[in-house]
Amino acid sequence: MARQKPIELFMPPNMLKAKVGGGKGGVDMAAIQRAEQAMDALKGEFDDWIATDVKALIAARARYAATPDDEARAALLRTAHDIKGQAPTFNFPLIARVASSLTRMIGDLPPGAAIPLQLVDAHVNAIQVIHKQGLKDTGDKIAQALCAELDARVDEVLTAKAQSGKSGSIFR
Amino acid sequence: MGDYRFDRLKVLVVDDNVHMRKLVTTILQAFGVVQIMEADSGDRAWASLRDTNPDVVVLDWVMEGMSGLDLIRMIRTNPQAPNPFVPVIMLTGHTSLDHVRQARDAGVNEFIVKPVSVKTMMSRLVAVIEQPRPYVRTGGFFGPCRRRRSADEYHGPERRSETAKKQAAE
Repeated sequence: MARQKPIELFMPPNMLKAKVGGGKGGVDMAAIQRAEQAMDALKGEFDDWIATDVKALIAARARYAATPDDEARAALLRTAHDIKGQAPTFNFPLIARVASSLTRMIGDLPPGAAIPLQLVDAHVNAIQVIHKQGLKDTGDKIAQALCAELDARVDEVLTAKAQSGKSGSIFR
Repeated sequence: MGDYRFDRLKVLVVDDNVHMRKLVTTILQAFGVVQIMEADSGDRAWASLRDTNPDVVVLDWVMEGMSGLDLIRMIRTNPQAPNPFVPVIMLTGHTSLDHVRQARDAGVNEFIVKPVSVKTMMSRLVAVIEQPRPYVRTGGFFGPCRRRRSADEYHGPERRSETAKKQAAE
């Protein structure tokens, strides 16, 4: 007798549609324009917002440097991840790229493996420089070279870690 | 799509970053959403969910304490959840296929990969209104069907079981 696990597949009533109606075709361009205008009005605050994020990253780095435990590592990863996601919205794509590299390093090193602090610092410093100089052009040659160098260093760390096969033994 | 009554919607925005909450809230307000609740953590979101029973949840993935994924699992499976079918739009900086699968498996309806844009927010909101997914309940999963198909398309035993595979092969 074949084993048949119970499985329910059902469509709940679309209460959302019943509530908001609509759907007669076409995009609500007026709503989109209103929202674009509201976003434009917010853009004046983006510099302050990214400054707050950079400060949070510096604080998370300091916390990890002082006490490199799991919580501090998670906080550093979370902060870098936030910047990776938010910086493009705030018109700082280069900061996002560097934060992405930092996120990759912390996220891909196995739990318990020490994070190379010097390389964390290199990322944090790069983000600070990009922010202070207001670099937003992704075609900036110096910024591109810096990002490529950071990517390469992260690759080296991850490759070495993968080859060592041990946690927490080679980097600090 | 121009005549949605977004003013009738209750939306819960969950993000531990105040700026992202402000950004999302600003976009939703411009769309006409009036009732917007904010939560800066999974725990506060859970409390707000139970108090306000929102129509849509916009949720960040990475948060301190209870993550976005943890919260979705609670929404879908906790008996105290006011509406296990509430559409969840996940905001995420994660872009890998593995992360997308994880979120789908937890019960996410739609994704917005950061950076957030007005058009993406509108399209995801419209998607949860116009293209709701069927729900699946098995021994180990409850949530939106992970495939965009009609509930009428499949009848039978669990498709991934060995027996079903053999039957299909025959």
